[in-house]
Amino acid sequence: MIPEEIMRQREQKHFRQVLLPLLLVGTFGASFLNVHAQEEVASAIRRYKDREASTGYYEAYEVRPQRSMPLVQIPGVQRGLFPYSPTSAQTRIRTRLTDSHLGIKFYNGRRCVDCHPEQARDIHTIRANLTCRQCHGGEPIASNEHYFSPMNPIRRHAYICAKCHPGASASYAAYIIHEPNPALAGTLKSFPVLAWAFWIMVAIAVGTFVLFLPHTLLWGIREIFMKKHGEAGNHGTDK
Amino acid sequence: MVPTNSQGIFRFTLVQRLFHAFLLVSFLIQAATGLGRMTMETGWGRGVLSIFGGYDASRDVHIFVGRLMLVVLLIHIIYLMTKVDWKHLPKSLWSQDSLVPRPADVRQFFQHLGWMLGMRKYPEFDRWGYWEKFDYWAVFWGMVVIGGTGLLMTYPFWSTGFMPGWGLNVAFWVHRIEAILAIAHVFIIHFFIAHLRRSSFPMDRAMFSGNAGLSLTRHERSAWVERLEADGGMNALMVPQDAGIVKTVHFVVGCTAVVIGLYLLIGAAISVFQITW
Repeated sequence: MIPEEIMRQREQKHFRQVLLPLLLVGTFGASFLNVHAQEEVASAIRRYKDREASTGYYEAYEVRPQRSMPLVQIPGVQRGLFPYSPTSAQTRIRTRLTDSHLGIKFYNGRRCVDCHPEQARDIHTIRANLTCRQCHGGEPIASNEHYFSPMNPIRRHAYICAKCHPGASASYAAYIIHEPNPALAGTLKSFPVLAWAFWIMVAIAVGTFVLFLPHTLLWGIREIFMKKHGEAGNHGTDK
Repeated sequence: MVPTNSQGIFRFTLVQRLFHAFLLVSFLIQAATGLGRMTMETGWGRGVLSIFGGYDASRDVHIFVGRLMLVVLLIHIIYLMTKVDWKHLPKSLWSQDSLVPRPADVRQFFQHLGWMLGMRKYPEFDRWGYWEKFDYWAVFWGMVVIGGTGLLMTYPFWSTGFMPGWGLNVAFWVHRIEAILAIAHVFIIHFFIAHLRRSSFPMDRAMFSGNAGLSLTRHERSAWVERLEADGGMNALMVPQDAGIVKTVHFVVGCTAVVIGLYLLIGAAISVFQITW
């Protein structure tokens, strides 16, 4: 027998006795594993739910774009399909960009709070120690209004809020994370209900103390100078 | 039997005192957990929160006690319903023994102010002074506003089912400002009137013992004592004043509450300048 035939027989024997059983065992064993990639291909809805920790509202709200492309537009102004060059550094309105920071100089060396200091002064950042990217995601950070952005109000509750608040609805996600300071004059325009509620409550509090602080202080002082009585204040006879 | 000045006049029933004791304890817990969470950026705030197990545990305590307060408020309203003289409505609501405000309270307020300025005679208060009625109804107002907004924030999925999420931003600020108002009012004005006035120093124990000294009451609430003497109800309300260990316990509990309240008030007042609003 020539060596080549011996080698081929050995390979066949090796395949039958070792590789084939291993392949069978491996296939059998793999059937018990949870393989996400296969599910993703098999079911778009399942893939959806893997990322969604919500109640299922998401499917009712989500609308996938059909043939349309995400357009960069200025609300109320139509200047053709692409009014701004996607590479332009002079973009004035960034609410609908795929990369909201496109064209910003020295962007890589900057921190979020360098340009957005006020956005770091809220309960989520200060008390819960959330970082910007835990909600806004990694680069490129799409504009909040961008069609595919997870921050888009149509899916924000499912992709962002539900990470920490399972069960969040679209209405729940309308909570203003970066709420303006209610005491500032600008809040009367940006969030008038909050500003009015704040000032009405402040007026009630200030009114209460304007009335009762001097009243209580005067009462205390007056009792100090009351005439001495056997046991207590002689309210009735010193005047 | 002629009442003597060493005796006390019965003012508060055991149930009323228990309501007040519950409010005292629960209010202090809510104030501590609420102020602690508000000032958690400071060492003082974190120190207060550590008593309750930290930032998150304090929230659980705050919510639990808040729910309990609302339940007790409902119980108190039921209790009130049992105390109303339904047969003589609406006249019974405006009686001298009722806590419902009357036009006479406004008149007595200004007369009291005049007395403070040395211009008028001390008013003849009946069973309840206008400041006591204000304190009583302020709790209702506070419980509705703070409790209502607290419920909205405790159950955000439920509340955002009928209002937009930004309503929680509004609820948060209303809750915060009303709570600050309540805390400051109780720890400054209520404590001053009940503890630091010359007439009540170091403590007005009536809400703990249930009775007030006859001599003081005769001067502070002369109309009430005269009314009781006129209709012959005085003897039924005369009780011996507490002494010894009971008196000491009342002092310790009351003064401890004052010390805790002042600690929270001063600590929070210093810390508010170091937190992010």
